[in-house]
Amino acid sequence: MPPVFSFHLRYDDNTHETATSQRQGEVEDTIGRIYQRFVEPGSMAHGGTIDDSRYRLLRAKHEQFVRDALHGLSSGFVVLDASQPWLAFWTLNSLSILGSEISAALRRRALDTVRRFQVAGGGFAGGDRQLPHLAGSFAAVMALVLIGGRDAYAAIDRMAMHRWLMTMKRPDGSFEMHAGGEVDVRGIYCALVVASLLNIMTPELVAGSAEFIARCQTCEGGIGPFPGVEAHGGYTVCGLAALEILGRSDALDLGRLARWLSARQLAFEGGFNGRTNKLVDGCYAYWVGGAFTLLQRALRQSQHDGYLYDRTALQRYVLACCQDVRLGGLRDKPGKSPDMYHTMYCLLGLALSQHYTGVEPEEAIADTTAIYSVPARMMQWGPLPASMDVVGAQSNAVTPVHPVYSVPLVPLAKCVQYFYSLPPLAASLAQN
Amino acid sequence: MRIEGCEDAGGAVPLAQQDEWKDVTPLPQDDGENPICPIAYTDEYREAMDYLRAVMAQGEVSQRALALTTRVIETNPGHYTAWAYRKRLVEELAVDIGDELAWVSRISEMYPKNYQLWHHRESLVVRLLAPAEALRLTEDQRVAHPTIRRELQFLASAIDEESKNFHAWSYRQWLVAKYGLWAQEQAFVETMINQDVRNNSAWNQRYFVVVRGQDPSTVALDGALVQHEIAYAVENIKFAPNNESPWSYIIGLLLRHAPPALSAELLPRIAALAADDDYRLAMTTTPFYWSALVDIYEQQANAHPDRRAELLGQARAACDSLAAEHDLIRGNYWNYRKTTLI
Repeated sequence: MPPVFSFHLRYDDNTHETATSQRQGEVEDTIGRIYQRFVEPGSMAHGGTIDDSRYRLLRAKHEQFVRDALHGLSSGFVVLDASQPWLAFWTLNSLSILGSEISAALRRRALDTVRRFQVAGGGFAGGDRQLPHLAGSFAAVMALVLIGGRDAYAAIDRMAMHRWLMTMKRPDGSFEMHAGGEVDVRGIYCALVVASLLNIMTPELVAGSAEFIARCQTCEGGIGPFPGVEAHGGYTVCGLAALEILGRSDALDLGRLARWLSARQLAFEGGFNGRTNKLVDGCYAYWVGGAFTLLQRALRQSQHDGYLYDRTALQRYVLACCQDVRLGGLRDKPGKSPDMYHTMYCLLGLALSQHYTGVEPEEAIADTTAIYSVPARMMQWGPLPASMDVVGAQSNAVTPVHPVYSVPLVPLAKCVQYFYSLPPLAASLAQN
Repeated sequence: MRIEGCEDAGGAVPLAQQDEWKDVTPLPQDDGENPICPIAYTDEYREAMDYLRAVMAQGEVSQRALALTTRVIETNPGHYTAWAYRKRLVEELAVDIGDELAWVSRISEMYPKNYQLWHHRESLVVRLLAPAEALRLTEDQRVAHPTIRRELQFLASAIDEESKNFHAWSYRQWLVAKYGLWAQEQAFVETMINQDVRNNSAWNQRYFVVVRGQDPSTVALDGALVQHEIAYAVENIKFAPNNESPWSYIIGLLLRHAPPALSAELLPRIAALAADDDYRLAMTTTPFYWSALVDIYEQQANAHPDRRAELLGQARAACDSLAAEHDLIRGNYWNYRKTTLI
C-alpha cells in the first residue's frame, strides 16, 4: 500500500478550539503545504498517495553548516558560552554521522580545545575557568570519543573524574549538575555514560540511581526530570539509557512507557512531540526515537518484530520538514532557524530510524546488573543490515549510532576497548 | 536551542578605564591557539568576563563583583558559574532578597527557558520564609504571606505567558510541596484546565495535587477521591473527546490507584457517551477512546478469571480497530500491544 497523505489525518479539535489546538493547526498548515508538494499530482483533492522517493539528505549543505560553526560563531552565541563542550560534541558528532572526514588538523584542534575544559579536581567545565558540570563532562567525554586516539582518551583523568562524580552524588541516587546546582534525571544519565565509558562505574556511584529514575515515571508512563514533574521525551531517553547501562529497565512499568512513547508520534506531521499535546520538533527524532530503540530491547523485541513506531513517517518528517534547504543544517520545524543542536539530534534520529539497532534476544547476557558485564552488554548493540530502511534516495543512509551513547559505533568501540584494558578502578585506587 | 537577542548591559566606559577597577588585573580566557567553534564575543562581554575571572580567582566578595555577575548573567543567563558565585555574594553581602527576586524575575521574562534562575529563586525564597516556620500557619495564612503571594503571582504571570513552561510548573511543584499550598493549587489547576483543556502540564499538576506530591507507589488514595477524579475527567472528555490529556490522566490514575471495581464503573460511563447521539461520532473516531477500552478490558480480564478469555478478546478487537482504522500511524504499536493480551 503506497503511503497516503490526507488532510483527514489533521488534528481533530472537535470544534472546541483552545490555545493548544490553534497552534497545532498553524503548524499543520505549514507542514501540509510541504507534503502536498510530494503528493502525486491529481491523485485526490484532500490528499493523495505520497512519493517518498524524492527526498534527498543535503549532505554537502549540512557539512558546510557544521564546518562554518567549527570556524567560528557570531556574538549571539554568547548564550552558549557556558556550553562550549556541547559545541564540540554537536559539530563533531554531526560530521561523524554524516560520514564526513575529520582531518588530522581538525582532530588536533578539537583535542586541544576540549582537553582545556577539564578541571584539576575532576570533571569538565563549560569553558575556561568555569565550574565542572555534569552535562559539560558528558559532552566533553563524547567529543573525545569522536576525536579518538590514545592521546584523546589519556587526556581524561579518570580517577579525578570518579572522585568528582562522587561529590555530585546525593543519597537518593540522583546527581547535582554542578556543586550546588539543580538535580534531575539528566545528571544520572551524564554520570553513568561517563562512568561506564571510563571503566569507573563503582557500586557506590550507581547506588539508588535506578530507583530514583523509577520514581520519575509519571502516571502517563513517560519519565520526567524529577519525581512528580510532567513526562518529557528528553528525560525519558536519559532515564531509559541510564537504566540500560545499569541493566535495570525492569524498574519501569514498560507497558505504560510503551503506550506513552507511541502517543508521541503525530499522525499528520509524522515526527514526534516531546510531551502530551505539544508540537512536533525534529530533535525528538532522537529523544523519543532513541527511547523507542531502548524500549524495543527492554521488551526483548527482535528485528523480526520491526519498529514500534512508523519509521517511514519519521524519516519523511526529518527529510521533508527539518532540512534548511537554503542555509543547510537541520531545525525544529519549518519556519524555525537551523542550529547545531537540532542538526545533530535530527541526524541521530534519522540514523536510528534507518538502521534497526538492537540486541537479538538470544544473544542477551543474562547477568545484566553485574558491573563487569557493562562493556560486553553495551557493545552488543549493533545495526542489523537486513532490517535497514532508508526513505528517499539510498544515498540518504547515514552512519549507524549507539542508542545509549548517541555516537557512531566504531569510535565508541575503540574508546571502550581502551578504557576496559586499563585496570578497574578499585585496583588503581590501591596502587595510588 | 534558541539564540536569544544579545543585549549587553555594560556601560559605555570600559572597565579598564575606570578607577574602581584599577587594582584588578583582568584574566583573559585561555582557549589555546586555534580553538574550534570560537565565539566572537562583544568587547563588553569579553571584558566583563576577564574581570569576573579575576575576582572569582581571588574569591572577592564585593558590590563590584556582584555588579559584574549582573552584567554577565544579563547577557548570558546560562553562565552557571557566574550564578554560583552570585549566590555566595548575595548571602555574604546581605543583599536585599526582595531586590534580588525582582531582578531574577526580570531575567526570567527575558529568558523563560533558563535553568539556573529557578534554582537561584528557591534558595532566596527559603531564606525569606523558613518552611518550618510557615507550616505553623494555616494554608490561607501562608497563601496570604507576602513571600508566598509574590511567588504565586510571579508564577501565574510566567504561566500566563507560556502555559506549558516546564520550569515554571516544576518550580510550582517545589513551592507547593515545600509550603503546603495544596488547596490553592487545586484551584489554580482547575482554572488552567478550564482555560485550555489540552494543557497537559495542568493535568500533570492535578495528579501531583491528588497524591500530595508523594511517591505514588506508597500512597493509597481514597476511593471517593478517585471516583471524583474520574467524573471530572469524563466531564472534560465530553468537551473534546480527541484530547489525549484527560484520557492519559484517567487511565494512569486507574491503573495505579483504582481497584478493578472502579474501572468496571468507568466502562459503562464511556460506553454511554459513545452511544449518545451528541457524542457518538467524536467518541468513536478518537483513538483515545479505543485505547482506553484496551486498558480497561485488560484490567477487567485480570480481575475476573472466569471471563478472562472474553474480555481479552474484546481488548484485542479494540487493538485491531486501532491498527486498521482509527490510529494508522501507530499500527505497529497496536499490533504489538495485541500480542501482550493473552
